[in-house]
Amino acid sequence: MKKIASGRNLSIACIAIAAMALLAVAGWSVFHSVARRGPFEPQQVSLEKQDDWQAFGGTWQSAGGVMQNNSDERGAKLMSGPTYWTNYSIEADVLLLGQYGDAGVILRSTDEEEGVDAYHGYMAGLRDLDNTLILGRADYGWREYAAKPVAPRVYAQQWYHVKFLAYGCDFAVSATATSGQTTIVAVEDPDCLPAGRFGLKSYNTGAEWKNIEIRPATRQDLVAMTGGVRPPIAAPVQLPTGAEPGSYDKYFEPLHRDLLAHRADVNAQPISALRLLSPDIPASVTVHGVVTLTSPVLFVQDSTGGLAIPESHTHAPLQIGDEIEAKGNAELHDFSSQLRDADVRLLWSHTPVPPVAVTAAQAATGAFDAEYVEIEGRLAQKSEGPKHTLVLTLDDGSQSFLAIVSETGQAMRLHHLKERSRLRLRGICVVDPAYTHDLTSFALLLPSFNDVEVVEGPPWWNAGHIAALIIGVLLLALAGLSCYTLIERWRMQAVLEERGRLAHEMHDTLAQSFAGLGFQLEAIRDEASEGQNIVPQLDVALDMVRNSHEEARRSIAMLRPEHLESMGLLRAVEYCTRRMVNGASSIAVRIFSEGGERAIPLRISDTLMRIGQEAVANAVRHAHPAHINISLGYQQGSVVMIVEDDGCGFSASGDLAGFGISGMHKRADSIGAAFAIRSAPGAGTTVRVQAPTPPSFLLTIRRRIPLLWRKQSDGNAGR
Amino acid sequence: MRWAMFSVTFGKKKPWPHRRLSAFLLLLAMLAGTGCRRALPVIAVIPRTCGTALWEPEHAGAAAVARERRLNIYWNAPMRDDDIQSQIALIDQSLKRGYAGIIVSPIETLPMRTPIRRVLARGVPTVVVGTELGIAPEPHLAYVLSDERAAGEMAARRIGAILRGNGTIAILGINPQLMSNVVRERSLETTLAREFPGVRVAARQFGLSSVPQEQQAAEELLAKGVKIDAIVALSLASTRGAYYALVEFGKDGIIKLVGFDQDLIPPIRTGGIDSVVAQDTFEMGRLAMDQIDRELHGKGGATELLVPPVLMTRENVDSAQIRQILNLAWWPPQ
Repeated sequence: MKKIASGRNLSIACIAIAAMALLAVAGWSVFHSVARRGPFEPQQVSLEKQDDWQAFGGTWQSAGGVMQNNSDERGAKLMSGPTYWTNYSIEADVLLLGQYGDAGVILRSTDEEEGVDAYHGYMAGLRDLDNTLILGRADYGWREYAAKPVAPRVYAQQWYHVKFLAYGCDFAVSATATSGQTTIVAVEDPDCLPAGRFGLKSYNTGAEWKNIEIRPATRQDLVAMTGGVRPPIAAPVQLPTGAEPGSYDKYFEPLHRDLLAHRADVNAQPISALRLLSPDIPASVTVHGVVTLTSPVLFVQDSTGGLAIPESHTHAPLQIGDEIEAKGNAELHDFSSQLRDADVRLLWSHTPVPPVAVTAAQAATGAFDAEYVEIEGRLAQKSEGPKHTLVLTLDDGSQSFLAIVSETGQAMRLHHLKERSRLRLRGICVVDPAYTHDLTSFALLLPSFNDVEVVEGPPWWNAGHIAALIIGVLLLALAGLSCYTLIERWRMQAVLEERGRLAHEMHDTLAQSFAGLGFQLEAIRDEASEGQNIVPQLDVALDMVRNSHEEARRSIAMLRPEHLESMGLLRAVEYCTRRMVNGASSIAVRIFSEGGERAIPLRISDTLMRIGQEAVANAVRHAHPAHINISLGYQQGSVVMIVEDDGCGFSASGDLAGFGISGMHKRADSIGAAFAIRSAPGAGTTVRVQAPTPPSFLLTIRRRIPLLWRKQSDGNAGR
Repeated sequence: MRWAMFSVTFGKKKPWPHRRLSAFLLLLAMLAGTGCRRALPVIAVIPRTCGTALWEPEHAGAAAVARERRLNIYWNAPMRDDDIQSQIALIDQSLKRGYAGIIVSPIETLPMRTPIRRVLARGVPTVVVGTELGIAPEPHLAYVLSDERAAGEMAARRIGAILRGNGTIAILGINPQLMSNVVRERSLETTLAREFPGVRVAARQFGLSSVPQEQQAAEELLAKGVKIDAIVALSLASTRGAYYALVEFGKDGIIKLVGFDQDLIPPIRTGGIDSVVAQDTFEMGRLAMDQIDRELHGKGGATELLVPPVLMTRENVDSAQIRQILNLAWWPPQ
């Protein structure tokens, strides 16, 4: 029964928590939407603000209003926009760079990751493999809803205007060729994704996008695209491309285009063999190699060596790692060759060459001319080079060399490199005087900023740091000296204040008593010389000595805190009070305590002790009470001490200078305590002090730390 | 106790930055959700790559079982089928996300051993699909393999039948980095030597990482003028590369091509590719997810399941069996 009840309670609690959480999320969503969502206006998407885009695969770059992905990865994505957009369209001019792939736009996308179909969203675009306009949905897996032949057809390297619209669960895409012919596909996805951001995507080919625009979509916009025809319910295809019977004709041509794109000259020569050609006979040669540098000069490399191609005709933008075939005229140089008037064709991508790790001494021999190498060196200086380049001068052993990198893009970060840092650089080793200016034996042409790695920073011990250290030490010493002086001054001031207080105390008590005693002794001397009876005078003098002795004892007792530490506040007050009233048997002292007695910081308990002593002393001296009641109340966050007597009391308008009231008040102020005196002639006096106390755990820690420290010290001493 | 802590924190007067508040609310909602109803366990299914005729059926097979057994699938893979580092990163990411099980089809054998050991050390049920790793099956590790020995025999017998027991062949796409490839290669050669001694292997070439490279390798072979009656291509990329080279040299259909791993379907219909030894990745995905489910219910064990391959030819390419092998439908029936 109990279990059932607890289970029910748990369920109710869970439902309540879930409801609260949902309410909170809903509330936050509303707040968020109000706070962040501005009106959804049509907008031309900026390609220049790199921060607005998030890439998932691919090698993206924008220039001249065109966003380009040069990678033929399968499923490169570039995403932007908020995830709460629902009904909108994305338009863009799209160009496929290569064959056998597709490229287009994404909308209503969320949860993107790197991966072929790693997102939740809709994609529409052009596929040149089977010459179709495609529309489908990705949920970490692709569902192709439609693939409609494009009129006239999908050509690589041609622009098409693609518009993809989502309204409710209806989706429509149109592709317009430069000829003006438009192909439209529309579907309804009943279980549609409601919202998401937009993006660009390519599959198995590089592509370009420009004139990207986002607009809010209405039903009228949808009708304008579909002509009012209700889109069919989306039904994904269930077999891979080309698996349907009768599909051979449809796919044969793209297959042939694909194979021709990759067809290579089987008579290509090894790059190192070019250096052995006759220097006097012009030779037209074909080489195969992997691109190792694209700017300022195209460099390629095969397993035998590297080659520069200063003037080339390329059919598509080249990337580092592309395997190319180059046909041109070989030009022989001392250590390597160059290819002039070369016709360069991309064979395939993604075969980057790893750099060869060499020392500067090895590179200085020229044996690695035109090859991709990795070298370490210490940065000696940085300077601006020609054509917006940054030139780094490095030393390694007995050799110096230059590293040249373009200043465009992130290379600006190289300006922050510190001299004397040890760097690891990857680049093309060249001995051409055009780069070395005959100042060094070789230079490195760096492909990008990413090819510079700081192995270790500059040595710490340099003149600037040493000077800074000395100044720092001096400043520290000066600050220490100032602190010491200040503390000494405070200590001295405290000593002087204490001395002043003692002086006042002695002046008020012992000095006056001694003065009175002196007068009394003078009177005795005078009366003794006159032969009068001096016994009464001696009695008075003895009384005065006794009183002075009492005063001195009281003062000494007030200066000794050890009672307080050993007895606790209540007992210490009681002890002092009983000593003060000692001899005055007519005064009854009663002590009370309320609340659990607990530890109080010494500063607070000492101050309360002094105030209590003063109050008791005043009562004993001036009020002649029959009873003195002292109570301590331990409350939450404070302690209250009340000293009350049933003596003669006093009037507030009377002279209070001798009662030490201002001293008690100051002492209370010093610990932030509330201080109050209530008295009236004939009605006794009540002194009340309420002091705040810190939380008990803090006090425990504060007390334990010295104890531990003491134990530790004792332990060490014991060893 | 946990709720008390949150309520105290929530009661602070200082305003939080929006993002933190948002994250907190999301966490609150998640905690409420998890407290009241358990989320379905997620199984990561990581093939060599996605979006291909070879591996998408594995998604369909795994998803069919996952729907029955109330499991969720995280399906993702490297964008290239030679990107072993990305595949290892996906495995590590699956571990970090606390997925309940991992099904992986390794791109290479040796580099995958340490990541799989790491997964097993965390007690996560794992099924390796498609190739042996050299780690013996154990309580949390099972294998679902295409029977590569049978596949090699199948290819050898097809070659023997085509050449009527006599002729020269080239073997392309040999890949020592993948144990399944090695097994199929050895089985092919053993069977040829045993059953068709008249068939001579004139050339052997290592596999390369992409179709264009395979195409170039095949072109170079054909350009040498070596007399070849048939080619056996041991991988998807080498099959496509060899087909392209044959078309380029006008030898498609003349030099017979027996490939491995389903990819190009139309040339099978025309005879440009004689046949392809297909892996039944749909069945492999189905069995792998079933094995994970058994592990999750404590019924698993050291298991190695073999799925028979199927020879895809012009005659059977439209059969129900082949259509089931090529089935892409990973989504729920509509």
